[in-house]
Amino acid sequence: MKKVRLATVWLDGCAGCHMSLLDIDEALIDLAQIADIVYGPLVDIKEFPHDVDVTLVEGAVSSTEDLEKAQVIRERSKLVVAFGDCAVTSNVPSMRNQYGVAAVMKRAYQENATLQPQMPTQGVPALLPVARPLHNVIAVDLHIPGCPPSPEVILNCVSELCAGRMPKITPSFRFG
Amino acid sequence: MSKQVKLKIDGEYVTAEAGQMVLEVARANGKFIPALCYIDGLKGLGACRLCLVEVTGIGRLLPACTTPVQDGMSIVTSSPRLAECRKMIMELLLSERNHICSVCVSNGNCELQTLAAELGVNHVQFPYRYPKLPVDASHERFVVDHNRCVLCSRCVRVCREVEGANTWSIISRGINAMLAADLNEPWGGSSSCTNCGKCFEACPTGAIAMKGKAVGENAKRAERIARLVNARGGAQ
Amino acid sequence: MKITDLETLNAVRRAGLAKLRPGRTRIAVGLGTCGVGNGAEDVYQAFLSAVDAKGIEADIKRVGCFGFCAEEPLVNIAIPGMPLVVLNKVKPRDVDRILDELRKGTVSPERALCKIETWDHLSGAVKDGSDAISGIIAYGKGFPDIPSWDEIGFYKGQKKIVLRNAGLIDAEDIEEYIGVGGYLAALKALHEMQPAKVIEEVRAAKLRGRGGAGFLAATKWDFMRKAPNDGVKYVICNADEGDPGAYMNRNEIESDPHNLIEGMLIGAFAMGASEGIIYVRAEYPLAVHRLEKAVAQAEALGILGDNAMGSGFSFHLRLVEGAGAFVCGEETAMIASLEGMAGRPRPRPPYPAEAGLRGRPTDINNVETWYNVPVIINMGAAWFVRTGTDSSPGTKVFSLVGKVKNTGLVEAPFGTPLKTFVYDIGGGSENGKAIKAVQTGGPSGGCIPPDMFDTAVDYESLAAIGSIMGSGGMVVMDEANCMVDVARYFVEFTHSESCGRCVPCRVGLDHALRILNGVTQGRATEDDLKTLENLARTIRDTSLCGLGQSAPNPVLTTLRYFRHEYEDHIQEKWCAAGVCEDLFLSPCENNCPLHMNIPRFIQLFKENRLEEAFESVVMDNPLPASTGRVCQHPCDDRCRRAGVDQPVNMREIHRYIADSVYGTKTGDRVLKKIQARKLPETGKKVAVVGAGPTGLAAAFYLALLGHKVTVFDENSEAGGMLRFALPEYRLPKAVLAREVAFIEAMGVEFVFNTRIGVDKTPKSLTEEYDTVFLALGTWEAAPADLPGVQCEGVMHALHFLDKVSHNEEIRLGQKVVVIGGGNAAIDSARTAKRLGADVTIVYRRTRLDMPAIPEEVIEAEEEGVNIVFLAAPHRIIADGQGRVKAIECVKTVLGEFGKTGRRRPVPTDEVASITCDSVILAIGERVDSVFTGGSLLTLNKDGTIRVDRHTAETSMKDVFAGGDVVQGASNVSNAMSHGKRAAEVIDSRLMGEDRFQQLFKPFEYKNDTPAEPQGGERNISATVPAKERANCFNEVMLGYSMAQARHEAERCLRCDAKGECEVA
Repeated sequence: MKKVRLATVWLDGCAGCHMSLLDIDEALIDLAQIADIVYGPLVDIKEFPHDVDVTLVEGAVSSTEDLEKAQVIRERSKLVVAFGDCAVTSNVPSMRNQYGVAAVMKRAYQENATLQPQMPTQGVPALLPVARPLHNVIAVDLHIPGCPPSPEVILNCVSELCAGRMPKITPSFRFG
Repeated sequence: MSKQVKLKIDGEYVTAEAGQMVLEVARANGKFIPALCYIDGLKGLGACRLCLVEVTGIGRLLPACTTPVQDGMSIVTSSPRLAECRKMIMELLLSERNHICSVCVSNGNCELQTLAAELGVNHVQFPYRYPKLPVDASHERFVVDHNRCVLCSRCVRVCREVEGANTWSIISRGINAMLAADLNEPWGGSSSCTNCGKCFEACPTGAIAMKGKAVGENAKRAERIARLVNARGGAQ
Repeated sequence: MKITDLETLNAVRRAGLAKLRPGRTRIAVGLGTCGVGNGAEDVYQAFLSAVDAKGIEADIKRVGCFGFCAEEPLVNIAIPGMPLVVLNKVKPRDVDRILDELRKGTVSPERALCKIETWDHLSGAVKDGSDAISGIIAYGKGFPDIPSWDEIGFYKGQKKIVLRNAGLIDAEDIEEYIGVGGYLAALKALHEMQPAKVIEEVRAAKLRGRGGAGFLAATKWDFMRKAPNDGVKYVICNADEGDPGAYMNRNEIESDPHNLIEGMLIGAFAMGASEGIIYVRAEYPLAVHRLEKAVAQAEALGILGDNAMGSGFSFHLRLVEGAGAFVCGEETAMIASLEGMAGRPRPRPPYPAEAGLRGRPTDINNVETWYNVPVIINMGAAWFVRTGTDSSPGTKVFSLVGKVKNTGLVEAPFGTPLKTFVYDIGGGSENGKAIKAVQTGGPSGGCIPPDMFDTAVDYESLAAIGSIMGSGGMVVMDEANCMVDVARYFVEFTHSESCGRCVPCRVGLDHALRILNGVTQGRATEDDLKTLENLARTIRDTSLCGLGQSAPNPVLTTLRYFRHEYEDHIQEKWCAAGVCEDLFLSPCENNCPLHMNIPRFIQLFKENRLEEAFESVVMDNPLPASTGRVCQHPCDDRCRRAGVDQPVNMREIHRYIADSVYGTKTGDRVLKKIQARKLPETGKKVAVVGAGPTGLAAAFYLALLGHKVTVFDENSEAGGMLRFALPEYRLPKAVLAREVAFIEAMGVEFVFNTRIGVDKTPKSLTEEYDTVFLALGTWEAAPADLPGVQCEGVMHALHFLDKVSHNEEIRLGQKVVVIGGGNAAIDSARTAKRLGADVTIVYRRTRLDMPAIPEEVIEAEEEGVNIVFLAAPHRIIADGQGRVKAIECVKTVLGEFGKTGRRRPVPTDEVASITCDSVILAIGERVDSVFTGGSLLTLNKDGTIRVDRHTAETSMKDVFAGGDVVQGASNVSNAMSHGKRAAEVIDSRLMGEDRFQQLFKPFEYKNDTPAEPQGGERNISATVPAKERANCFNEVMLGYSMAQARHEAERCLRCDAKGECEVA
């Protein structure tokens, strides 16, 4: 049987969802039997590959880079999963939204800097006016809320998706 | 002894006392009807619209919390139409203010969070509004965080109907409606507040929280309100 | 003195009648808020001082409003023994002359709107032994030249029951109210009737709540009466009228406040309520003032208060000024407001009749409901139910506003169809623009399209089509109203008036407004529309009170009936009405089918940059000289300069620019410049079928985009209708030829004498070409259902014009009759005239209804063409040889309004015969049936090709279509716009990217707006005098001189310049 091409992406988030993914522990071995992880924070490939079956996206869309990545992911993936609260609701990254980018940058890089207060301008993507959930910028096939989602929910979802089924939404899909 | 009435809920016959509301009767009979603005011990308000039910013969959906039972009535508490309406209302609520469960003192103890999960809301189709809202920590024991308020007015009603202090009210209209203490003053400066904490117990979310308590310790005990009211001989 | 019985009432009544019929002239000025706003107070003062100065014996009175707002200020004059005459639009300066006439005992008919000979104040027949009282006032007969009130458009079809006293009696004088039978009903109820009997009468009258819900008043009243009498009961009048554009209640109260008090008194008696409250809108100061005064007067006469009218029943009535929130019109919110809390509704049950104000049984009725009560008691239920429909007897007052001629307060029986309001009472469109919708029920109502104007106005019928009766707002909208913006406006209103208690209304309306703003600003997507629709339904189904439940109605009805407008905004970023400013540059650009950047070429021309002005023009419109002569110029219709004097003549300016550049060195330079801008060759081949304006426009842009374009046409020259249907005197062939050459120079290949459908088919073309664009015209005459049409000498306009343009010989004879009112009819008539014939045009409607360009009609008449209006051909009569001898026409009259907003011509019995040698039929064209017959394309019923509205795609792959073959016979600029749009879509399909905008380069030009309008009046293009032109085919319109063109350009207000405003 052909293995499922699985990718995971880390946008504006804390990597907690990825940690929770690793927390499925020994089930990782079973997962490795049915899926190839073709892209992810721990996979040494720079460019998002083509013909991905399932992509788990962690993190909110906060910068121009996130936005571009999201669009590429959508183009090259059959199923896109918003993975965890940041991707689903924009969560903690959205806490800056009510203040505006300028005020947030000033606070972070000038008021709170002890050495060389200055705005980063080079080599970093610009922040979008607001951090947004993934489904506000691309079509999303499944939302798995949770901060992070529990390993059980993740395992269930990934197994179902790899088996070509949509997981059932139960009360274990919970924000927070 | 008040009059008994017989009615059908989801096809099952149940008996109730005349004057009881559909919500009470349904819950007493083990039915799940979601509600946010309803709280045992206080009169229903019909504001959150989550407890809408279908009543056979009536085209409109009726709020279970303010609809009195009637003899021969037939109630439907769950249907695809109801599920859709409740889901959308929940999404509206979540999009309205800044509900960030992961950093909330009520994470895990929040009625809004639990209900969202129970209603199958795993994302919000509407763009979030991200309003800029204040946090009032002027009270010595409590904090009110408007980012987390759903305007259910449970605090307003418990303060008026049970404590009799009338500290809380809702000011402004429509999307600008806000909870306010006294004449829109910092809560800490309120001269009417008795520091009783009933509003804290009644609040379904983390909007009213107790200072100095960690996430797990901020569980509300809303059932205390009903106990208190019953001990005084029932609702006014 | 206290009124305690009929005798005491009659004493006051006689005093009141004496004021109403003083035995000398009574001049009454309409001083409602509406009258005052139109200067009636000055008129009143002018009468007062003039009467004194002139020493005229007359009473000057202040009355309420007689309803006809558009004609304010209204003044009525009663000379003893003569009819009461209503004067309209009276100005203070008219007062002297009016009084001078009055001194002679007359009123000039020119100043008069109408007269009233007798008026029934509907107080029934009650006798007291001394004088018969019927409430009928017979003013007298006379003034034969003044129409009776019920004969003039606005009042015909109205029936005044609620407004029976409005505008006739002094609203601030209880004696006048009693004089016309006031408080008789209360006296009768309180002294002679049992409460249950009163309710029975109201029940028999089937009186329904006029506030909007239409609940039976008697049912509520009965509930109240049966509620335990263990404390106070309340009756409340809901006078918190707050719908935008609705002012029925204000006018009722201002004109006749005692009627309300009497209704409430009777109701309170029936229900056993001892306390009454009128919750009146605080923003109605005049209504508040008159009510306060009325209550005090009624108290003084013992009508209100303890032992009311000596009956032993006590009723105390007081006023509460509203808290200024729309939602306070909702009864539970009103109760909260009266209790001193924020006006927020609560769910019912319990209903106010069980537990209302302060927990006591409370009845709340709308102002107008109360107004019907005294009449029902006086005249009886049996009389009342004779008006209106079975389920909704009586009348309803509406405020008819918006884009109709006659705006005002209209009282009509329930069941009156909407079209009566719009076209008869309202008098139809205010400015000739087509009426698009009527919005009933205020911000919570729905928008109803004209094809549903047969709908009867009653609770059930309006609800069935998604609208509501509401309290009586009726707003008429025309094509200058954007239905998306209308929905947005109303949602903005309900959004800001939402109390915020329930979630769907509070948050749902916020999202709905955000989406609607997105649509009007061109940011929305099709998905947003679906979300909006779902959201609107949920808000409707789940909100707590009537405000939220009905707030989505404007959205849902506009989505239902005007969805294409939403789609235009979303897909084409186009607001046809020219309302949504974010979507367009200027009103003229928006209304131009080609979306020419008109302000830009005008500015470039003003800056003396002719070459660039031409470049701007020709890139937007590749046939600027032709369209500069024959375009229907829709830009004129929306030009804001029309608000100052007349619209800027944009068509003549671009004609001037084109005429002065084509064929010159400047022209060559521009040609080279544009050629140089051609995108690299793509290797794609496109076939364009039809070398008319649609095909030419498409070919021009497609060639510039780098495609290889071949244009097929069955004729031997390009131009289509422009070449073969438009006569030389309107569009010289040489002018067109220069433009075609310009287009050809872009690399367009023409293949002539090839007929698609015969020589080639669309299918065969798709084999040779990557894309096929069908731009055939409508050359086949529509079949005429007219006896004798096969006679020799009968021909179709296009065939006639085609033959003339091919210089074929035609036997016209001496007398020619042309049938029709469009441009083809006028062109045929003027052409026949030039061929030496006597020409008569027969048209079945009136001049204003003619679809032809108005200037052309005038020019035709100048040339001696005779036009017979309101006549329809009946049959054509032939002589012995089968040749036309005469045509019989039936005289028509204008009947009801049709779906296009024009009155339908209705034939009469009157027939007239016109002798003639030829008949030219200009009654419509259709698509070539040779083409459509064999076509594999999906067609519409009328034979046109069915395409996607936005992409011009047909049912066949790679085949697009546009122009007349899609839209039916239209005009040149519409046709070209199809070609231009198709070129854009075809290119994007061929190349997989949007490249169209790459063809257009930006221009730098000044953006100063004139501080004051410049340039004076609209310049008139010189024409050859009628005598000189009527015999030859030389061009008639000579176009602007340079000076004229310059002046005209100066007149532009530059609506496109949207900079920051500097406020001094």
